[in-house]
Parts: sequence; C-alpha cells; structure tokens
Amino acid sequence: MEIDKEKCVGCGNCHAVCTMGVIYLDQDGKSAVNQDECVECRTCYRVLRNEGYRPWFVRAVRRVLRAFNLGYLAEPDVCPTGALSPPALEWPRSVRATFSDPSTVHEGTGVHGRGTDEIKSNDVTGRLREGDVGFVVELGRPGIGARFRDIQKVAMALAGLNVRFEAENPVTQLMSDPKTGRIRDDVLDEKVLSAIIELKTRLEMIPQVLQALEEVQHQVDTVISVGVASRCAADGSVPHEHWVRQAGYRLSPNGKTNLGLGRPLFQE
Amino acid sequence: MTNTLHRQGDVEGLKGDFVVFAHTAKGINKEGSGPKIQEFMRICLRHNPVNIGDAKQGNILQEDIEIERLISRQGDGAAAAAVFTDVGTLQRVIEDLIRADLGICINVSGLLEEVRDCCRKAGIERHSVEHSLGFWGATERLPERHILEIHTMCGHGMVSFNLIRKMIEQVKLRRLSPKKAAKVLAKCCECGAFNPKRAELLLERFRKGLT
Repeated sequence: MEIDKEKCVGCGNCHAVCTMGVIYLDQDGKSAVNQDECVECRTCYRVLRNEGYRPWFVRAVRRVLRAFNLGYLAEPDVCPTGALSPPALEWPRSVRATFSDPSTVHEGTGVHGRGTDEIKSNDVTGRLREGDVGFVVELGRPGIGARFRDIQKVAMALAGLNVRFEAENPVTQLMSDPKTGRIRDDVLDEKVLSAIIELKTRLEMIPQVLQALEEVQHQVDTVISVGVASRCAADGSVPHEHWVRQAGYRLSPNGKTNLGLGRPLFQE
Repeated sequence: MTNTLHRQGDVEGLKGDFVVFAHTAKGINKEGSGPKIQEFMRICLRHNPVNIGDAKQGNILQEDIEIERLISRQGDGAAAAAVFTDVGTLQRVIEDLIRADLGICINVSGLLEEVRDCCRKAGIERHSVEHSLGFWGATERLPERHILEIHTMCGHGMVSFNLIRKMIEQVKLRRLSPKKAAKVLAKCCECGAFNPKRAELLLERFRKGLT
C-alpha cells in the first residue's frame, strides 16, 4: 500500500485498521507504510471511506481547533482525504496480494480467499475418501503474517512423511519440488497474511503428521492454525477423531461440516 | 478457505454463531452455478442472517453494498456466506436448502454436534467434517483470548488486533455503542462471515466491565 504524503493529514485511522500493524506516523507527522512488512491485503484502502476533503482544509480546521485546545474526533472508518492507494504490483511482490486480499482469485485454483477447497466440495470431488485424512496447516494466522521461508520449513518437514500435497492449492503451486516441499527461491522473502499448506494422507499417519508439526513449530517465527478433516462414515461418525485423540490432542467443539448436498455426488 | 474453521470462544458463545456457505468445484458443479448461488442467497435472506455476502463483492454491513444488486451480480463459483445466531434458524435454513436441491456444495461452520443434529432432524447424515486443532508455533505473539475471539470471526484475518483494541476502548469510553463498533469491525471482513451480533455482545461485556 502507498500513502500520498501530499494528501495525508496524519489522522492515524489507517494505523489501527492495518492487519499487520505496519502503518506508522512518520517524523513529518504523516503516515507511512513499512513496505517490507506490508502484505498488500488492501484492508485499509477498502475499509476507510474517502471523505474527499481537501488536505489544506482539514489541516486548517485542525489548526483552528488546536488554538482553542479542542480536538476533532473523526469516525474510525474514514480517510479524510483519500490518501491511500494500492500500487500496481509486480512479481514476486504480487504474491503478497494474491495470498492476503480475499477478493483476489488465485489463478491456479480459481478459488477466492486463501485459495483452498479442503472439504468444502468433498461431496462432489471425493478428494478425501474412506481411510483418508486431510490436513490444512495455515501459517501466519491469526493476525501475525508469514514469510514463505517459514512456510517452506513446515512444508519440508511434512514432505519427509511422504504425504501428498494438494495439487489444486496455491502453496503447492509455488513449490519448485512438491516431493521435498521446497518453494521457489524468488518468493521466499515475501510476506503474506497467511498461506495454507494442504495435504492428504492415510488416517493411520495422523500421529506422525502431528509429531512432525510438533517439532517444526518451534523453528518458525509465526503462528500456525491446524485443521484436520475426513469423510464421515455412513452413520455420520468422524474417522479422524479416534486417531487424533489417541495421539493425545484435543479437537475443537466447533468446525466445518459439508452437508453432502452437492451434485453429482461423488461415488467411491 | 479455512476461514470459518478456527473461530474461538466458549460453547455458550459459539451457540450463537453459525456460518452457512456455498461452494462449487471447477469442472463439476461450478459451471452454470450462478443462478443456484443466487437462490442460495435468497433462501438465506428469508431467514434474516446477521451478515451475508461474498468474497468478491463484500457484505451487507459495508456502506456501498445493496443486497439485491450484489445477488444479481453473482456469477458462477461466487463464494457466498451467511451468518445465523441460533440453531433453530439454522435448522430451518438447512431444511430449505435440502428442499431447493440446488446441487451446489453447502457447508456449515459451527458447533459440530448441533450441526449434526440439524442434519439428522432434516433427514440427512453429514458428508465430511473438519476440526480445528488450535494454534501452534509462536503463540506467544498472539494477543489476549477476547481479542482472538473477535478476530477469528473473520478467518481471512482482515479485522486487525489493533482495530479491535481501538473499538473496545471507544466502547468503554462510550464514544461508540457496541453495535456501531461491531459494525466497523464487520466492514473489514470481506466475505460476510463475521458475526456482528456476537461481536456486539462481546463488546457490551467490555462496556459493563465484565471482561
């Protein structure tokens, strides 16, 4: 994101809205973006209404108020002068927006958001079948962000278990070698709001996958949200529950349920 | 989109938080799905969701969104979501969606036992289930539990920790009502999965000094 210094009046509203907390007040009293930490999610640009005031007018009003020891309390969701502007991004920086702005469609998967399908269409794709388990390992979430260098560390740790990375997944598509989990060199220093490693393996591999995550989690400087999924048995029971509990982990009381209403229904 | 998987909170809070969303698969049921997704939206609207929208166009809590226009612009594969605050309404939404037989994939995020019971009452068994195994890694970088409870209602992470802190402060100082502050937070969540009613209840607790 870029801030037009000619327009900015230093109100600070964009500082709070910034998902990464990387907009700050510069020495000149105007806001600036730490470009290395910005993930190009465009939240500031989308959320803050442009009030369309002339910068000189806003500054003059403030000076007058200040002279009387008064302040102006702006609405929290406005940019008085429309000073924010999303720049045209070139590769590899463009990968930041692709992974961080949910209104962007991932070219490789055709899916919005973080670009993954997981169980959402499992009723028609049959991606997870009887005996399969799917893991979604999301780095950077909640609210911290992640560099692909850290994402690679986790992918490589999991690749060692001979799991299958989901081909229709944006992170897999950035791997130079999906067998090793290695990610292409030119994006390793790019930072994104979050990115999801998506894999599938057999149910009996659950303890090994969790053990690998247990070890690699201490090697990354970000947080990881982990999800686990499987296709239900005919009676609606969930096969992965037994394996996860046996491995000593707690399952959330809430989660995601595919109702099986998609057509044509996948037949095993 | 694991964006609704990791919603935080105790079971009582989660009882008021169910997200229903439509999804399609390329080459299977995405092509020609536009009118079906529009019908999904209209069914959800009949049950008064507290939020509804899609990832491409935004949600009804944003100023420039008019819901009928949003629906009319939804094309094949639009990622639509609607939020409901009680299991009774969820039950009726599921029953209506089964009756409509749209052929698009329907998912529900929320308390798994409640959703399973809704399915059974409606005469179906759930197809697939996904659990959260929580947060790993550098968890010392995460903020307090109540900040996370609000933040995770937008799974894409568009509601910043700092904005939540600012809204809590504004509510405590009575500069903003919990309802108005919740609406500001909901604006950040593009796809419409944020639950403004639950956020309002949480902010109300801050105003009363209960959290």
